[in-house]
Amino acid sequence: MDSSSYFAQANEVELFEAAAAMKLPILIKGPTGCGKTRFIEFMGQKLGRKVHTVVCHDDLSAADLIGRHLIREEGTYWQDGPLTKAVREGGICYLDEVIEARKDTTVVLHSLADYRRVLPIDRTGELIEAHPDFMLVVSYNPGYQNVLKGMKPSTKQRFIALSFDYPNAEIECQIIMKEGDVNETVAQKLVTIAHEIRRLKESDIQEAVSTRLLIYAAKLISQGFNPYDACVHSIVESLSDEEDVLEVLRTLIKLHFLDENN
Amino acid sequence: MEEQIGKVWDRFLKKKINKSYDDKRVFFTDKRKALNIFYHLLGGEKGKELQIADKRSIKTTRSVLERVSGSGTTFFLAWQDDKGVYLPASLAYFDNEKLNEMHYFWLVALAAKMPANAPNFAQKNLQIAHELIQTYPGFESFYQSAITYLIKERLRLSIKDPEQQRHELAFINSLVDRELINVSTYTLNNIYPFPLWLYPAQTSQQASNSFDDDAELENSPQKSEKTEELKMKKRSSQMDDEKKSDGLLIFLPDSLMSIMEQVNLDRSEDDSFDEDALYNAEDLEEITLGKKRANLSARIKMDLDFAEGAAEEYPLGKGHFINEWDYKKQDYLENYVCIKPIIDINIKPIALPKRLQKMVKKIASELDLMQLDRIKNNKLPYGDEINLDTWIEYLGHQDKSLHPQKFYESVERKCRDLATLILADVSLSTEAGITQEIRIIDMIKDGLMVFSESLNRLQDQFALYTFSSLKNTNVRFQIIKNFKEGYSDLIRGRIENIKPGYYTRLGAAIRESSKILDKQQTANKLLLIISDGKPNDVDRYDGRYGIEDTKKAIEEAKRLGITPFCVTIDLEAKDYLAYLFGRNGYVVIRDSKKLPKVLPEIYMNLTL
Ligand SMILES: Nc1ncnc2c1ncn2[C@@H]1O[C@H](COP(=O)(O)OP(=O)(O)O)[C@@H](O)[C@H]1O
Ligand SMILES: [Mg+2]
Repeated sequence: MDSSSYFAQANEVELFEAAAAMKLPILIKGPTGCGKTRFIEFMGQKLGRKVHTVVCHDDLSAADLIGRHLIREEGTYWQDGPLTKAVREGGICYLDEVIEARKDTTVVLHSLADYRRVLPIDRTGELIEAHPDFMLVVSYNPGYQNVLKGMKPSTKQRFIALSFDYPNAEIECQIIMKEGDVNETVAQKLVTIAHEIRRLKESDIQEAVSTRLLIYAAKLISQGFNPYDACVHSIVESLSDEEDVLEVLRTLIKLHFLDENN
Repeated sequence: MEEQIGKVWDRFLKKKINKSYDDKRVFFTDKRKALNIFYHLLGGEKGKELQIADKRSIKTTRSVLERVSGSGTTFFLAWQDDKGVYLPASLAYFDNEKLNEMHYFWLVALAAKMPANAPNFAQKNLQIAHELIQTYPGFESFYQSAITYLIKERLRLSIKDPEQQRHELAFINSLVDRELINVSTYTLNNIYPFPLWLYPAQTSQQASNSFDDDAELENSPQKSEKTEELKMKKRSSQMDDEKKSDGLLIFLPDSLMSIMEQVNLDRSEDDSFDEDALYNAEDLEEITLGKKRANLSARIKMDLDFAEGAAEEYPLGKGHFINEWDYKKQDYLENYVCIKPIIDINIKPIALPKRLQKMVKKIASELDLMQLDRIKNNKLPYGDEINLDTWIEYLGHQDKSLHPQKFYESVERKCRDLATLILADVSLSTEAGITQEIRIIDMIKDGLMVFSESLNRLQDQFALYTFSSLKNTNVRFQIIKNFKEGYSDLIRGRIENIKPGYYTRLGAAIRESSKILDKQQTANKLLLIISDGKPNDVDRYDGRYGIEDTKKAIEEAKRLGITPFCVTIDLEAKDYLAYLFGRNGYVVIRDSKKLPKVLPEIYMNLTL
């Protein structure tokens, strides 16, 4: 399967190309599993630039991005972090889920994200000017609001922002057909179910059904699982821990498929 | 004579058509939550609630049935109007619990897909039934077996009146064919209601409408039709009145009375003391500790004498004035709103109520598991462990004597640089019941209690305030716990003593809270608002005006570096909340009983 295939949701491909040409950084907002990572990988291939991905988390420190001294027999040496590497060699540095990093970590991005395009490294005293092919891309899920984490507004305002959502029904259906290897009827059914469950977001379930989960369901179905089981295990069970909510969702799925076990 | 026949007929029909399987009966109350979620899943209208239907007169205008069986015939129908969907309290048509349950799901599915005032509801029912089966094949077997069964039951009625018989058959055929070709409105008005259908609201207008486009009108004697129609109209308009009166009309005068009284009361209180200066954190603390009591005005002493040992509201001064945003003028009304800080005195300190102990214990152990109170402190001259990064950095350093040589790290209790102010709406609407025993306000109280326990466990800084308002001249801002006070049995006592107030001048309460948060020295500030409905007050503070002022207040808070977040139990809230707080600035809790459990979770999500 071609892992680089990408179905555009709107004009994001053109926007990305334009930003790359203008040497501007990009910020992508969107819920989990809606295709952000896939998009960057695709754009990396399209533009012929290597993608350096950093998945951000709570304990991510500036050193994890920039680099640190390491030891070997002869003594210590400096090891570039993924950010520094991309800055030196060119390529896309992609900070996935940047909102998971603490605010003070992402401050190092400031000077890279504006017209200066430089990275100062305090520990070695270097000031690296970014390679012309260097591009900074960050993504996060705006569904999580956190008082302590996230990017400062001043940092955010340096980016070209793209807002992703789950693809519209038609495109999502095509993605599922391709990635999940199912026919159109099944794909369409899955999309219908997803749209119904997405209505519940914000009140009864913790997370909406993502395109990724729909693909899992499709894969299970194409492996020969009965559609009800496939949907329950890939879509429903992960959405909530509350039995009464789950029960309704199971009923919904049951109604969608003629239950072959009955 | 005719009445005699009517009674027999009535009994016969009820027995036959309402033939029920009591041991297989399914109750709405047991399925309420599931059905509400299902309604929502299928795209039902946001603001609408599923409710239990009252017995309703059947929608047979001048029907044969009505003439024969007497006009008192009533029926539990599933129906809907603009405001709600009304379902029978229980269903037992089928000899199988699963089918009876499925019957509810079926009706709810119809309700989700059918517009409340579809012009031709019968046609619409058939059409939507057809669509439902297409989309949800799982309904097919239910629908088929239900129809087959119900038709069989209806055929067994062996109706003697040939005209009635004709209508019945036409109707049954249309069900089988899923097509209403040969069925006139007249027929529909003359058959018994069909349990798989969802009926429209019964309004006088519709009654006369269906009368007008009735093709078979000429066949029937005109005169009696007219009088029947009149009767019908009268009845339905009465019903309309009834509907209104169990809503606001009856309710309002009562509460207006108490509002008037309250206003008077406030006025008289106003002249009796002047201690405006009292409303600041320092003084407050002392009041609650009771140290300053002797210095307070005679007014309090009087109160204390008057009701010894009873909880008492104590106003902290005359109040102070703040601005309000008038969106029509696009300008602030300066010093327009009077904030009246209040604190309860003579509160009996209480331990954590039994009913909450289990939950609090569980949440506490979850919080402990997260170990979020631990943080590494780096670059210490001494400590628990060597920090490898620092050590290596030292090794690579050009001039080792210039290096600070602080290699250690240790794990310390994390002092989270965060202050949280919880602002709870205790307006009149929170008096409303969730169940017969539990009111919304009770859930808010339990929520605040459990939440305080959690915050206390985390050693996070927090304050608790409640508010309600009576016009711009009286925004009651009640202090439960300020930032300085520690959490204690006394605070619990104050929470337990919270009572529903009046209206919701949200913008003012937010401004006042922001002012308090702004004085805190932490880097991060969270304003957590717990509310049960839209901003509103008795004056013009309603609708757009209230929303725009609240929005302004939120913008002001954000500018101060405060993160506002709203937790609401108002199901209709989605649209205006997104407008006020942004798409991720709020959460709607469908089941307000979950409030105590959910609040700490929301907080953790916001701050972990
Ligand atoms: N537009 C798209 N084109 C192709 N595949 C997609 C698209 N959107 C989502 N996918 C599929 O969904 C999966 C999850 O997407 P991913 O990029 O990992 O989501 P995110 O990074 O937003 O969490 C991908 O592995 C891919 O199979
Ligand atoms: Mg991703």
